[in-house]
Amino acid sequence: MDPVNTVGLLSPWEPGIFSLVLFGALVVGIITVLHYISAVIGEQKPGIEKSRVYESGIIPTGSARLRYPVPFFLVAIFFLIFDIEGAFIFAWAAAMGDLGWAGWFQISFFIIVLLIGLLYIWRKGGLEWGPKPGK
Amino acid sequence: MTLWISGYILLLVKFGLVLGCLLFLAAYLVWAERKLLARLQIRYGPNRAGKFGLLQPIADAVKMITKEDIIPAEADQSIFLLAPTVVAATALLMFAVVPFGESLAIMGQRIPLVITDLNVGLLFIFALSSLGVYGVALGGWASNSKYSLLGGIRGAAQMISYELALGLSLVPVVMLAGSFSLVDIVNAQSGYPYILVQPVSFAVFFISAMAESKRIPFDLPEAENELGAGYHTEYSGMRFGLFFIGEYVHIQVLGALTAVFFLGGWHGPFLPPFVWLLVKMIFIALVMIWIRGTLPRLRYDQLMALGWKVLVPVSLVNIIVTGAVILMVG
Amino acid sequence: MTIHSIIFYLLSSVVIVSTGIAVTRRDLVHAVVYLIFTFFGTAMIFYLLGAPLLAALEVIIYAGAIMVLFLFIIMMIRTEPSTAPLIPPGQWWPVIGFCLLYITAGFLFMYQEPDFWVFLTPAMATPGAFGRFLFQTHWLSIEIISLLLLIAVIGALVLGKPAGKKPNKTNGNRI
Repeated sequence: MDPVNTVGLLSPWEPGIFSLVLFGALVVGIITVLHYISAVIGEQKPGIEKSRVYESGIIPTGSARLRYPVPFFLVAIFFLIFDIEGAFIFAWAAAMGDLGWAGWFQISFFIIVLLIGLLYIWRKGGLEWGPKPGK
Repeated sequence: MTLWISGYILLLVKFGLVLGCLLFLAAYLVWAERKLLARLQIRYGPNRAGKFGLLQPIADAVKMITKEDIIPAEADQSIFLLAPTVVAATALLMFAVVPFGESLAIMGQRIPLVITDLNVGLLFIFALSSLGVYGVALGGWASNSKYSLLGGIRGAAQMISYELALGLSLVPVVMLAGSFSLVDIVNAQSGYPYILVQPVSFAVFFISAMAESKRIPFDLPEAENELGAGYHTEYSGMRFGLFFIGEYVHIQVLGALTAVFFLGGWHGPFLPPFVWLLVKMIFIALVMIWIRGTLPRLRYDQLMALGWKVLVPVSLVNIIVTGAVILMVG
Repeated sequence: MTIHSIIFYLLSSVVIVSTGIAVTRRDLVHAVVYLIFTFFGTAMIFYLLGAPLLAALEVIIYAGAIMVLFLFIIMMIRTEPSTAPLIPPGQWWPVIGFCLLYITAGFLFMYQEPDFWVFLTPAMATPGAFGRFLFQTHWLSIEIISLLLLIAVIGALVLGKPAGKKPNKTNGNRI
């Protein structure tokens, strides 16, 4: 654990977190200004037809609060699991040189177990979308 | 004290230049895309506003600002406003960690040519692109339109799938450079660019980057002939403009990131560093436009199969192999 | 008050307020948006306390993956938002009672601890140091986590696939 250098925290010469916060504020400011000027300059002529959602020109058929299909939920949960895996791989990659072969064997086992998981959902059709060709 | 005040002024000038460049280039990238696509399709493209249509971006901007911002009757107002903001802000913020030169010496002080040099810079980008998913998912949901919702669902699922491949493809770069900091990654490439040693990573990264930016052949979330305009069907005026800014800034950022991770960043002979970064950035952006003009759109099952069955396993195996090679070589 | 502690209290209040708003929303999508702010604030606190890698992973995993999953689940089971009050009037008393109990217990624990008023020395765990620590001391746990994740993948697949029904016949695949 290295001690944090707080001397240059607010210094404009350091490419540190202060610089990032200022940049973030500037970006948010520009976007707010764009929202604002378009609200001021833009036309304001509301109408019933205008505020109706687009459904290829016909009157909308009911609410669009449809329910998401289950396969998308599966994609999200697989993404979450492999994202956690990615977190460990990134932690290893940062220290890879010092960990040497021992670290390599550890992460290889880790990755291979997850590859088995990927292969399993692949074989079981968890990654299939739509009808299979030839059926 | 005066040194600090002038420092803050210089800092703001630097930010202004960066943001100005990004937005200006975004506007002219639209022009370049329309011109190039037109040429690929044997037509002229915009040629009325100014010579070669060069004033077209200005005309577009004026139009966007003066158009009426319509909020659909049953839309969720606050989230409807939030979504384009998220898309544009994440794209612009991603550029914060990209180094565009070594450093300038002004008034005896060293001015770093990067906005912020985080020691987790690469993960910062990864985090922002995972937040960008909300712009698409929430924008599609908040409009309360079926086309938007379908586009939003497709977009969110596509973006998270390819984000995985995007992140994993960058692990070998971190291993080679030994750091998450983009400044260190560029400095580590002073000898040779990483595309020479990591062509597989480069391919996976480039494909996932294109899928992240939701462009042909990966533009299912906004497939015109099925969904109107997908998740931004209901947006008009400047809010649509913000989605547009987000998309084109995102393309530039992805170009810059490709340059930083694989093409040596600002390293290059003869020309000044930031010109090299600009050249590489624009080159990648033009390649993306060229691909858009060449390839057809994928089917959704092909899209998911490419992400999950090809790119993710390939990048995982690539990590193991690269690790072994690095340890063997020394 | 150093600048660190000012920022810390600012961020903590953002976290607490946005969590409070999140748990009292009737519209679940709004709740998710506020919860994202919560995780964002937590990540910034991690960064402030000198753990940049954890800060980044907090945003990537919690705000970026888990909340996307929440959003998908909410939209998968979505029903019309109810207009009834979130907490029926009769249930306010236990809510207030437990809140007071937790707050007093928290303060009691804090003041009984003799080291309570020790100032934390600001420290920085670089990503490299974090990775070394993780893989040198906890490598066995990591391998066990990989097996757990394998089980999670299989479990998710079993839950997500409708039993006895061809997956390609569900209407979701047409989207």
